[in-house]
Amino acid sequence: MKGAALKLVMVGKQFKGKAGRLEVLRDINLEIAEGEFVTIVGASGGGKSTLLNIVAGLEEPTTGWVEVDGHRVHKPGPDRIVVFQDGAVFPWLDVWQNIEFGLRVAGVPRAERAARVGEYLKMVQLEKFPRARMHELSGGMKQRVALARALVLKPRVLLMDEPFAALDVQTREEMQSVVQDLWLRSGTTTLFVTHDVREAAVLGSRIIVLSQRPGTVSAVLTNSAPRPRTLEDPGVLEQIRRSNEILKAEVQWSNESKTPL
Amino acid sequence: MVERVQDSPLKKPQKARESSRKFLHLIPMIVVALAFVGVWELVFRLRIVQPTFLFPGPAAVANSLYDLWKQQVLFPAIGRTLARLGVGFLISLVLGSILAFLMVHFATFGKGIQPYVLGLQTFPSIAWVPLSLIWFGFSEAALLFVTIVGSLFSITVSFADALRTVPPVYLRAARNMGSDGMDLILRVTVPAALPHLISAMKVGWSFAWRSLIGAEVVFASVGLGSLLSQGRENIHYEQVMGIMIAILAIGVLVDRVLFSRTHEWASRRRGLIPSR
Repeated sequence: MKGAALKLVMVGKQFKGKAGRLEVLRDINLEIAEGEFVTIVGASGGGKSTLLNIVAGLEEPTTGWVEVDGHRVHKPGPDRIVVFQDGAVFPWLDVWQNIEFGLRVAGVPRAERAARVGEYLKMVQLEKFPRARMHELSGGMKQRVALARALVLKPRVLLMDEPFAALDVQTREEMQSVVQDLWLRSGTTTLFVTHDVREAAVLGSRIIVLSQRPGTVSAVLTNSAPRPRTLEDPGVLEQIRRSNEILKAEVQWSNESKTPL
Repeated sequence: MVERVQDSPLKKPQKARESSRKFLHLIPMIVVALAFVGVWELVFRLRIVQPTFLFPGPAAVANSLYDLWKQQVLFPAIGRTLARLGVGFLISLVLGSILAFLMVHFATFGKGIQPYVLGLQTFPSIAWVPLSLIWFGFSEAALLFVTIVGSLFSITVSFADALRTVPPVYLRAARNMGSDGMDLILRVTVPAALPHLISAMKVGWSFAWRSLIGAEVVFASVGLGSLLSQGRENIHYEQVMGIMIAILAIGVLVDRVLFSRTHEWASRRRGLIPSR
């Protein structure tokens, strides 16, 4: 398929544990088109984060491979930036310096750095707090820093690993609309992992439902509800209902199939 | 902190208040010093320690320090000792960082070497002196050697511990943004571990200081330690106590000016201790 920014081919992952091999992912095939927003939803501990780490190049898949623009991924790179669950913003830097981090690593000249950091600072509405330190920020503000720090590098693919799981409900919904706005403006290809079905439905143009242990793609839902969306939109509600059904059936099935004989 | 413009008219009185607060901060320390001198004077006057020449009073000790200063002995000695300390401590820091990094980066190597490094850390530095003399004779190199081996292992152990406190998610985030190798160490590992690294340096410097003074007492070379043994040999007990006080004062000063302050600064900007 042409136009696939990100392609996962037969990706599988096994960990060697004390109790033998643990298979967390099996045969994940996925193509994400340029500019698409795809959410992956599944229960906690279902290998979603592992999948994202493999795409990021922070972990090696046991089987299969990942391609970005047709090139295989072997190591981390600034074309695939991850926003981690706790943001992983750096407490020894202030807001400005955090957003600037990747640009400095890349050796971007000072003037261009300043212009880009200023632009993204404004985009996440933190332009009043460039010199604030991380301990002075709320959880939502920290995630805005993490978002700006990722987007300022203009990655080919933005990877988000349950970025709002630790936030309270109001902040989470606010951040969801921030992410949606940023995506509408930047058109960055995004892979967003969450255990929250509602979050997956409100954000995703496609919703991938991941089964549990081993994680496989159990359903792909297309969500064409108009944007910007909220959790109350009928199209979104319908997706939430369908995803929930699939997840429930999945859990039931996996419980039955795993009952000892 | 956002509305910088608004609090600028307040800046001057605030600064004045800040410096007076800093002075207030020192009052307990000064009171303790004065109380110490007072008790000392009292014990001296009541002639509790007999014979009295074994226990000179504060005035005699101060006078002996003043004499040493006038004879231009005191400051050259302090200078030489501090120079040795500086060089020895610096070498220990460099070697310690390399060793600590290797121990953390190569876990198996770390596991193998850790017990010995811990053992060597508790090894009395003065016990290195005979070997140092055999190898280097009565030379600057011998004094440096004792200073380095006396502090290196403490620095290695605590640097390794400091590096292990760095949350892996910071390293992953930085690697994800393209940082790697030396860039990653300098941009993330070191600043992430900084408060712990400063504490480690503080402990390391105290090891270096103790080792050096110990070695200097044995060696007959210009330095504070030699002034101590010289005082004993010449029955100048005032000098012995005076130099001890000088050693103590330098210890307090270096700790406060160099380490406590930088540690506070590094911790405060990360919110590890509340800002004033």
